[in-house]
Amino acid sequence: MSKANKTGLIFFPAFDWAISPSHPEREERLLYTRDQIFEEGILDDPGIVEFKPRLAEAEDVERVHFCVPNVNSQTTDAHLIAAGSALKLGDALLNREIKNGFALVRPPGHHAMRVVHGNRGFCNINNEAILVEYLRFKYGIRRVAIVDTDVHHGDGTQDIFYHDPDVLVISMHQDGRTLYPGSGFVEEAGGPGAFLKTINIPLPPGTSDEGFLEAWRRVVRPALAAFNPELVINSAGQDNHFTDPLANMKVTAAGYGKLTEELNPDLAVLEGGYAVETALPYVNLAILLALAGKDYSHVIEPQKRGIVLRQSDEVDRAIKRVIGYWEEKLGREPPGKDELFAGKGLFSRSRGIYYDTDQIYEQQRESVEYCPDCPGIYQVESRAKKGWGESSWVWCISVPLYACQACQEKAYKYWELETTSKKDAASRPDWIYLQDKKGNRYLKERG
Amino acid sequence: MEIGIDVGGTFTDGVLMNGGRVAKWEKAETGDDVASSVRRVLEMLLAGIDPLAINRVVLSTTLITNLIAQGKTDPAGLILLPGPGVNPQDLPFAAPAEVIAGAVDYRGRIIEPVDPAEVSAALSRFLDRGISRIAVACKFSQRNPALEEEVIRLIGDEHPRVRTLASSKVSGLLNWVRRANGAVFSLQVADEYSLFVRQVSESLDRLGLKCQVCVLKADGGTVSLQQSIHQPLEGIFSGPAASALGALAAGGEGLTAVMMDTGGTTTDLALLLDGRPLFSEKGAVLSGYPICVRSMAVASLALGGDSAIIVENGKVALGERHGKAMCLGGPRLTVTDALVFLGASELSGRERIIPALEEMSRSVGLEPRVLAEKSVTIFLESLEKKLEEMFAVWEEEPAYRVWQVLSGHKERPRTIVCLGGPAKGIGMLWGRKKGWKVLVPRHAQTANAVGAALAKTTLRLDFFADTQQMVYSTNLGGLHGALEDPLPNLEAAKRFAETLFRQAAGKSDPDNVHSETLYEEGFNIIRGWETMGRIYQIGLQTPPGLRAFLEEEVGSGE
Repeated sequence: MSKANKTGLIFFPAFDWAISPSHPEREERLLYTRDQIFEEGILDDPGIVEFKPRLAEAEDVERVHFCVPNVNSQTTDAHLIAAGSALKLGDALLNREIKNGFALVRPPGHHAMRVVHGNRGFCNINNEAILVEYLRFKYGIRRVAIVDTDVHHGDGTQDIFYHDPDVLVISMHQDGRTLYPGSGFVEEAGGPGAFLKTINIPLPPGTSDEGFLEAWRRVVRPALAAFNPELVINSAGQDNHFTDPLANMKVTAAGYGKLTEELNPDLAVLEGGYAVETALPYVNLAILLALAGKDYSHVIEPQKRGIVLRQSDEVDRAIKRVIGYWEEKLGREPPGKDELFAGKGLFSRSRGIYYDTDQIYEQQRESVEYCPDCPGIYQVESRAKKGWGESSWVWCISVPLYACQACQEKAYKYWELETTSKKDAASRPDWIYLQDKKGNRYLKERG
Repeated sequence: MEIGIDVGGTFTDGVLMNGGRVAKWEKAETGDDVASSVRRVLEMLLAGIDPLAINRVVLSTTLITNLIAQGKTDPAGLILLPGPGVNPQDLPFAAPAEVIAGAVDYRGRIIEPVDPAEVSAALSRFLDRGISRIAVACKFSQRNPALEEEVIRLIGDEHPRVRTLASSKVSGLLNWVRRANGAVFSLQVADEYSLFVRQVSESLDRLGLKCQVCVLKADGGTVSLQQSIHQPLEGIFSGPAASALGALAAGGEGLTAVMMDTGGTTTDLALLLDGRPLFSEKGAVLSGYPICVRSMAVASLALGGDSAIIVENGKVALGERHGKAMCLGGPRLTVTDALVFLGASELSGRERIIPALEEMSRSVGLEPRVLAEKSVTIFLESLEKKLEEMFAVWEEEPAYRVWQVLSGHKERPRTIVCLGGPAKGIGMLWGRKKGWKVLVPRHAQTANAVGAALAKTTLRLDFFADTQQMVYSTNLGGLHGALEDPLPNLEAAKRFAETLFRQAAGKSDPDNVHSETLYEEGFNIIRGWETMGRIYQIGLQTPPGLRAFLEEEVGSGE
């Protein structure tokens, strides 16, 4: 078979969609990016092929999320098109029509977690996670790595794959003590069955190209090499840029270009980035050129002239510390699953989740069962209160894609028990869901 | 009455139209001197006709394409002001280029000044190489042409005799490579083209024609012959547009069909959708270089009526043209001969084919009929594949808005319109196989000339305004300026654009002031939480179409 040598592009700026008129996630966001990329004439290059966006199906979303109460109520057409665009490029990649691809789409998705009660961090559904589960289900792929280079911690992606040993989630971001969503610390390193398959690299405010690339080269690259994934996906947020209004980093378009060139992802999906004029036209162009194997060294932001973007010594030391932490941690044999479960049949934790955009506070209790043969059944009970209004309570059961048959069968028994419960209405959740990734089935029922 | 003339590679066809009726048609061989071919056809058409009864002449020519293909062009150079972005060396510019400082950003703001010393140095390097025609292209010059104009002024001050052209004068659309190449080709053919226009004008004068004379454009509209001197590329690739208009004239308003134009060596496929041809999404390509001309999406297949039937490794295949069809006295068996043998062509000469066909049949161990059918099947399968590719491109056109994605499903045509000599036979067989309707215009041979004669004069306006900076720009020869009205909403912006459109239309054609909206977009510029202004982009054009439809209808199958 001839090897594809084209870079696929889906540009979906959603020029007719906004969260609200003056929200950062508004119609204007990719306007200047459109102007720059079209004006360059680069889309006439035979090495770049544009595809038409398409809608993702509810089934694609349900393979990843528990949308409360359903997919329809949590998504608009724009969300389904952004996710569908990633799927379309995924198909083109796996069918060898393209060598790599860039879903330059909005709205973004990396803050959307498994359970979705509303919009958090401008995200409702997780485009990359939907892509990964679609490709794994459809093409029988197993090991995938997601590298999130958005300035904000990719907490949604982390949550979705936290217990999946076959998906390596790496996020490089501005330290959670200084920025939304306030997470992404080194201690969050995966559940007992997927330990060190979540790697967080919090970087101090003021990190420049130098520190950004050093963290990639010394932590991310060796971790990827060790994991040896079949596919690498880049959550290509662009808000590490020195002009981004919502964050405090000093990365340039050239830095993003270099990272993209070295990371060489199979698919890149746009995430955040809200310097609509000063960053996005240049960073998007640099990423596209780097993916297409072209020279991006001329993509120099006008704002960069005459200013120094060096990181301070203090920042430098902080970066070296986190790199040192990971070099040490990843250089050792990690404890095994049996050791981490410590003889218990169940790992569970409780936590609160904050939805900034939709002003929701969610409380979760999640659990993963120990199974010697597979990642084990995952369950989560979630209650959410929206503002001062309605609250909802859901119970979700998930069968992993590579579950053993015994666990799969057991999950359906749990479903049976929950849905036929004789408890009085007040003691039953509003909705009960069963997501069977292995069997590609999704069941939902009122409690 | 109207005259339409189509200058093709081999023949120049002309028709005299009386409303929707073809009153007369004439044909002459196209010689090296295109202007005299045009004159000969005009003379024949006008024999016995009062020239004052003619109110319009429209020309469709391949002159520019031929000049460029034959290298009969004057050398031109390119001065580039790229600013930040793609390395200009990676872009397909059609002329030797000098890169200088100076940059404009996406909102038309100057972000780097021009350095006059660099302009001077670039200029002398071009002059040293014997290049005295220079196109100037600055990224985003359609948003602000100031830097291009400055470079041109600097060149003029230093060397008044150097011919220059700014890319913003050529097109108002995004894509500086296409604008730059458009300016380069315009300069390269300018002298030859002016000569052609002068010669044609002289012929018209001698023949007593005082009417409006136009050139057909690639988008099916027309531009006046005089105006085309300044925009010679406007008339390029008008052949497919002429065919499309000819097909529409025969097929009636709102025709949705696949247009098949089969010649001796090639077959062109194009799509007509609800009375309008489908355009290539990005623009035309000339000699391998992308240019800023909107042209129809045409898929070409290297097979035609004269494609030879050959035997390759014991298998039937189609090969190159070696001359006319055998039934017409040609040297080899061709696709046309297969059609004649199968009774799918009106041509005679079946007896001339039989010995050769029988001999070839024996060599591959097939019945003569099976061999003929097989060769036609190969042709039809190639057509089918090409058509599928074409549909795929059409259906995969990018969409940038939610509604565009949702309005997804596109209805495919189920009609074939056949133009050109061998098209009818092939088209009938293809249509039968697909269960599609087949239209064969009565004037299939002269469809192009008919199409040219019935084309409308058109105007297109691409309007951009930025109310934070209070500036606007257009594609109309680089017309731009300061806004007086803050254009508070899209309706106000449209009204302003329509005024500009009417002013421009009034100059060229007073009855041509109606416009339709090609696209319209208004964006709020939000900084912090405040609306600082708005950006509008509006495209207006005269609704394309025909001045009349043909009265005597078509021959048709199924």
